[in-house]
Amino acid sequence: MSILSPEQQAIKQAAKDFVAKHIIPFAAQYDKSGEFHPYLLEASKESKIFGMAVPKEYGGLDYSALTQALVLEEWGYGCAGMGTTLAASVLSMDSVLVAGNDEQKRRYFTPMLNAEIGSFGLTEPGAGSDAGAGKTTAVKVGNEYILNGTKCWITNGGFASVYVIYALTDPAAGMKGISAFIVERGLPGFTIGTVDHKLGIRSSNTVELLLKDVHIPVTNLLGKEGEGMKIAMKTLDMARPAIAALSVGLAQRSLDECVKHVQKTFTGKSYPGQTLQFKLADMQILVDAARNSLHEAMRLRDAGLPYSKESAISKTFCSDVAMQVTTTAVSLMGTYGYIELGKYMRDSKIMQIYEGTNQIQRLVISRAVLAPPPAAAVAQKAGN
Amino acid sequence: MNFELTEEQQLIGQSAREFGKEYLEPIAVDLDHTGNFPKAVVDGLAKHDFLGLLLPADFGGAEAGFVSYVEVIESLSRYSAAVASIVNNHTIAAYTIQHWGTAAQKKQYLHDMAKGELLGGFAIYEHGPTPGVGPDALVAVKHAEGYVLNGKKAYVRNAGEAGVYVVFATTDPALGAKALTAFLVKADTIGIKVGEKLETMGLKGCPVADITFENVVLPESALLGAVNGGVAISAKALAVASVAEAAQTVGIGQAAVEHAAAYAKQRVQFGKPVATLQAIQTLLAEVATDCHLARLGLQNAALLIEEGKPFEVEAAMIKSFLVRLGSKMLLDTCQVEGGFGYSEFMPLPRLFRDIAGTNLLDAPGDFPEKLIAASIA
Amino acid sequence: MPKCLVCYKWTLDEQDIKIKPEDLSLDSSRAKGKISDFDRNAIEEAALLVEKNGGAVDALSYGTPTVKQSLKDCLSRGPEKAFWIGDASAETADASVTANVLAAAIRKLGQYDLILCGEGSSDLFNQQTAPRLAALLGLPCVSFVNRLSVEGDVVKATRKLEDCVEAVTVKTPVVISVLSEINKPRIPSLKQVLGASKKPNEELKVADLGLKPEDLQPKAVRKSVKGFVMQRKNVIYKESSAADNVAKLKSSLASEGLC
Repeated sequence: MSILSPEQQAIKQAAKDFVAKHIIPFAAQYDKSGEFHPYLLEASKESKIFGMAVPKEYGGLDYSALTQALVLEEWGYGCAGMGTTLAASVLSMDSVLVAGNDEQKRRYFTPMLNAEIGSFGLTEPGAGSDAGAGKTTAVKVGNEYILNGTKCWITNGGFASVYVIYALTDPAAGMKGISAFIVERGLPGFTIGTVDHKLGIRSSNTVELLLKDVHIPVTNLLGKEGEGMKIAMKTLDMARPAIAALSVGLAQRSLDECVKHVQKTFTGKSYPGQTLQFKLADMQILVDAARNSLHEAMRLRDAGLPYSKESAISKTFCSDVAMQVTTTAVSLMGTYGYIELGKYMRDSKIMQIYEGTNQIQRLVISRAVLAPPPAAAVAQKAGN
Repeated sequence: MNFELTEEQQLIGQSAREFGKEYLEPIAVDLDHTGNFPKAVVDGLAKHDFLGLLLPADFGGAEAGFVSYVEVIESLSRYSAAVASIVNNHTIAAYTIQHWGTAAQKKQYLHDMAKGELLGGFAIYEHGPTPGVGPDALVAVKHAEGYVLNGKKAYVRNAGEAGVYVVFATTDPALGAKALTAFLVKADTIGIKVGEKLETMGLKGCPVADITFENVVLPESALLGAVNGGVAISAKALAVASVAEAAQTVGIGQAAVEHAAAYAKQRVQFGKPVATLQAIQTLLAEVATDCHLARLGLQNAALLIEEGKPFEVEAAMIKSFLVRLGSKMLLDTCQVEGGFGYSEFMPLPRLFRDIAGTNLLDAPGDFPEKLIAASIA
Repeated sequence: MPKCLVCYKWTLDEQDIKIKPEDLSLDSSRAKGKISDFDRNAIEEAALLVEKNGGAVDALSYGTPTVKQSLKDCLSRGPEKAFWIGDASAETADASVTANVLAAAIRKLGQYDLILCGEGSSDLFNQQTAPRLAALLGLPCVSFVNRLSVEGDVVKATRKLEDCVEAVTVKTPVVISVLSEINKPRIPSLKQVLGASKKPNEELKVADLGLKPEDLQPKAVRKSVKGFVMQRKNVIYKESSAADNVAKLKSSLASEGLC
């Protein structure tokens, strides 16, 4: 566990308290029903936590990357589904942070301070890992863009007020013709399609978004036309560690529940044998290592240093750890685990899939690993 | 050494697969949603002799061997692991009665169990660290009329649907598990209370519940095997059960890898089916490999059971293998299907939830590695 | 109490056959055998008739020596006895050879009231076995049967033809070929599977059937078998207008001989 400043410790404790009061008591219920926790946003208003990434000049909490990770770990500990609600909203606002102008930032960050949430609309039925294969179009007509297309597996889609939608302004240019737009809830032609029933993170709202001749003003373009994929990639780089944080919380929670059960079962003279002890130790080793890798990546980002590789590593490692730890917890604790700890296992699987599958992450990491060292590159250049 | 199934074993497997396709496939999703015990299907299984597969012909059983049995369980599990679970738990109870019951006990129960008119359950686990230890341990006290049982059994499968339970109680709390004794308990015995059905994340349709015993009086004739002979009986029965459960895991895994492979062949990303990507090939290959090796391992253990040879080590090995790699079969196939592997509109999430319920270490701290190590060191 | 004979074929399970992408040749090395689909219906129909009217069902199959693997499968589905001819000639046999061999065997086995076949085999689906058998044995042939009943020596059959449904009455002995919709083949229970090994089977040798060498010579010779694989061409038309794209598509299709 890395050493935190008093401020960070206070923020972490506040998040812990919030989660204990508003998330943990409701997690099982909304996992079962698959419904969005109706009072979560209301309860979050006071803390402005959905504005945790919003810069101070716009009234936000302006938390450092590491601090955001601390908060998300607590939310992941309470319920990975509700943690996803927060993470996905921050993800969408990261696009505005990356590419928005001052007016856009003011306009769209402000609702976040009032526990309205955002939604990131990149994925389409034919564009999953191949994110650049999207077919949604944005045609410029006068001082408007008209959007048409379908987005799927969009988190928060049914409850957001602000959507970042990626669409082709230049279909002939393929990936380089994608642009990023803000679409506001309730615009004519912009509707919610099917709600996805998922294996886990069931309290997270996942829907289809349908855009049929949706008119938005040209001022809703984020950055420049054709910059969409660049913005998306930068956004995902920033947001990946959020998944790592949720994963660490999730893993720690399942381990803690496992330990509680072991302590309850082995009372009096009986004590868990070495095998069980070592399996618990292995789980703690992984969770700690995962947390440390995440915090390292966040420190790099906060220091303004390149962190793309570390971001990918932390997302991959932390989610893989969560999957391993939560799976072990279930089988280790027998039918008790199957009944009481199954949610954590179900929640973990998506961490390895969304915001860039762990296979995509490995492409990013291996590219960095196989790239020639900087000195050689300079020598090469000099030699030319 | 012949790795091929005999013609009969193959045909039995074929019948089971046809039954699965005809009767299990259409109901599997609904069964998972409602969790309602599939009586019609269980009756159909009985008609095809699946519920009396191992039982001697004298009792109306098919008298097929254990290799045929695991072939059936794997085949059924490809379509509905929940139904396979019902069959497994019933069969282990019947197996126990067949091997340790008196002639009178066998006559009393096995005919009806073979016919499927009487379903079996196996009540071994408790909430304490080991059966026979802890405040809720099921204790059997000698009585004028036989025995009086008090306590609680945990996580009994087929609970509420079974007509007879094989129950393990300790005759001496001071000795705990060492004094474990087996009894045959009819479901309608006074003082037995089947608790509320527990909500499991998968294998829905195979009911699981705690069973409380409150001054349950059993006659001498309910004693199964010797007094304090329960450890030996439960160890052997659970070893047999673990081989059967391994077949369940492999059936689920096989269904998953076939679905994921078919998906990967038609899902086009980056201009090609994802099945052409090495990342996907690795995932599919590992699952197919683990499935294949697990199948060979469990068939080997099944053959030893069938031939009456020592099998406990092999059974522990296959359990150990699948505790480590069983769920991985679904973790990896869900990964192949990405978002589709997470959506309950598709089949893999149900298989994920089902496979997580097989090869559980229900006796906390009781690891198969202990037995394996003891056999070599 | 009809005495029935079902002729069935032991074929390869087509779902196990893989197509080699390089030359579209078939790889059957991992293919398991199965009773041809429609023949299963024929066996089931015979079993149902006998369950209803009494009598007995025999089964007969001509194939390569692997046909021996089919016996227990067949006997678990109703027949009392299985006759089999496992001969290398089956490797290249066409419909005329098959019919010659089966007819010769049937002449040896004696009188049957009904001889049932599937309408066609699941591998070749020539639909010739039943009509040829009937011609060779001098018996009436009723094909495309989707409903069958027997009363004494009178057989009532419904034929499902392309444009109508025909009701036929015929006196035994008769050759019948059945469609798959006539019934749903039973799933053999375990006792039926295990009981199959107790039922008798008898091998018949081609040499003992009194055939002439030319009877075993196929009149149609298979030159090659290739699989069919759907290929994606992945062509994208990027003309400036929709009309131009359509024109391009049209000329592409024409060059493939498709329009």
